[in-house]
Amino acid sequence: MEIPYVYTPRKDTGLVNSKIAIWLFLASEVMLFGGFFSAYVFLRIGADYPWPERALPVIPGLVNTFVLIASSVTVVFAWASLKLRQWRRFQFFMAFTIACAGIFMVLKGVEYYVKFNHQALRMPDGAIVEGHLGKELKPGVNPHGEIKPEDYVLDRKGSQIEENRIFVEADAVTFNTVRFEKGWAKDILDEAKEHNAHITLKDDLKLFTKTGWKPEDQPPIAKIGDKELKAGTELTLDLLEQIKSLYLDARAHNAKVRTEALRDAWTEAKKSHPQESDWEYSDKVDIDPARLVGTILTEVPEATFKIEPAVKLEFKPLDIKAGATQSQLRDGTKIDGRLEESPMVFHYVDALDFRYLAMKAKEKGQDPMALIESSWVITHSPELKEAWEWHKGQIKLLEERLIKDYGFEKDKAGKDTTTPKREPTFTERYRIEWKDFAAKSEGKPRTEREDMPTFVEQIRGPNYEEREKTKSFPSLEVPREQVQFASKFAPAWSTYYAIYFTMTGLHGLHVIGGALVLSYYLFFGRKMYLTNPEWLANRVEVGGLFWHFVDLVWIFLFPLLYLM
Amino acid sequence: MADSPEDIRKKTKLYLLIGGVLFLGTILTYLVATREWLDFGKHGFDTVDCLIGFTIASVKATLVAAIFMHLNHEKKAVYWIFFGSFATAASLAGLTALAYFSPIHDKFFPNAKAGYVGQHD
Repeated sequence: MEIPYVYTPRKDTGLVNSKIAIWLFLASEVMLFGGFFSAYVFLRIGADYPWPERALPVIPGLVNTFVLIASSVTVVFAWASLKLRQWRRFQFFMAFTIACAGIFMVLKGVEYYVKFNHQALRMPDGAIVEGHLGKELKPGVNPHGEIKPEDYVLDRKGSQIEENRIFVEADAVTFNTVRFEKGWAKDILDEAKEHNAHITLKDDLKLFTKTGWKPEDQPPIAKIGDKELKAGTELTLDLLEQIKSLYLDARAHNAKVRTEALRDAWTEAKKSHPQESDWEYSDKVDIDPARLVGTILTEVPEATFKIEPAVKLEFKPLDIKAGATQSQLRDGTKIDGRLEESPMVFHYVDALDFRYLAMKAKEKGQDPMALIESSWVITHSPELKEAWEWHKGQIKLLEERLIKDYGFEKDKAGKDTTTPKREPTFTERYRIEWKDFAAKSEGKPRTEREDMPTFVEQIRGPNYEEREKTKSFPSLEVPREQVQFASKFAPAWSTYYAIYFTMTGLHGLHVIGGALVLSYYLFFGRKMYLTNPEWLANRVEVGGLFWHFVDLVWIFLFPLLYLM
Repeated sequence: MADSPEDIRKKTKLYLLIGGVLFLGTILTYLVATREWLDFGKHGFDTVDCLIGFTIASVKATLVAAIFMHLNHEKKAVYWIFFGSFATAASLAGLTALAYFSPIHDKFFPNAKAGYVGQHD
């Protein structure tokens, strides 16, 4: 059955139904994006920490703006061509619009990819280090020399390993019998096998698996089929699964027994309190413990295994809560053993941010410079100390130049005060960016930092391999105690990045959705064009309205997130 | 539809012109944000730069809405629907601002700075 349609204007509104509908939809979109925009404004105004200004590379955003504006123009031309019954021109303009959408998403994808692979670290003293982590290399390979693909150590899945792992010299592991992650248990088993270590049950697993036991009885050693679970039983994944089913069976049985006992207790209580309502005697109802003797089975929520000899296990920092003698994984597995040296190794440091430290210093009334110079990163890395000294010198030059060009504020009498009209911003004073590192290593002043990156570098960030030759970016090994919070440039890193990815991601989804609708008109519109061209023109106009709205949102999003 | 083929032919030149204006507006926004000789107010990003940026963006948005989205000769119903949504969104933001900038007189929050919810010295 064909859906009834109207493409002539209605008498009451003077408009086609689809027009009213699309404007209603755009009104709801205004509410959606308006909500996010106003949330951004409030978050930014109310932030009591330094807000990342101009944190994103501007060129990708700028190119994307041009791309979207061009697509807006061509979608109007596509509609105009349809109205003028020029099919070929319509196809050309519509294809151009969809191609622009594709370019937009590709650039956005590149931006996101670069961000997700870039590491950020905040230290306990408030200093922030940004850069790229090293990838583990085979012993003997020079990290700053020529590296071939086969020089990298690969994990069990064949991917390179980031030098940000927690090492534990494990001598015992306690699995949570229900929540254990099979993959992690397998990794531990494989690692032990590689080191010729044995993982065996620490103690006999003694459980009551049948009812009818007496209080003076000792639980017998549990059996799975014929095999007894004695101390020394070798760990396998199957064994863990079997212990899990023992536990779950016992738990199900016990739940039934307890429910029965509770039901009987209520009945008893009701009999002995005939005149009261149930909520009045509810505090006197409880399971008689004597009933449970002999009917309750032993539950085994955890199973401990010894590792002989101790094996050095490695974990991702997100997966483990490390302690000096015992660590816990996210699935509840406890690893007993000594925490080893687990540094976070930056292969390239490309930004140093002391704004948070400086803000804390000002709050406490201390000198920010003194606090920065006593921070861990300045005292432990000679290259970064040198970069900081160079940066200080450059900012001094900037200060002097601003005073020379703009002068001082005048007081009421018209004389110069000591306050300059223009000063370096907070960000300029306390943040060293990759372009500063690059300019320094090329011997250029900070004022020329925008001129030396190539166009590709403006989009994708520095070409680290190329700049290895000028030793632009120092490496840094950060001990685990100096890692207070670390993350990639992802929503987790800061509120700004959270809202950046939310808003641009939502906008990107709208671009994809709009492109899909316009593609439908392009690829499946011929039939409609031959039978009812005015209706197709109407639909393309309505689709174009949505497309313009997407462009409108970007026109505001680009300055807000990239330039301000 | 309201537009006849003759109208549309005339409009083509206008669309190209507006497209060019939008391109120039984008370049202008970029220059205002990055070039020092266009940096008004204090050095770096301050309220003046914010206002300039949003003014340019609003002009571009108005051009897109009025000419590409045909809002300059639309019916009243559409005006009510579309601009009504802006008014609604602005009222919701306004309500939040009213609460945001109200001081907290509750003694349970002794450090709350008067004027900003959540901020403290």
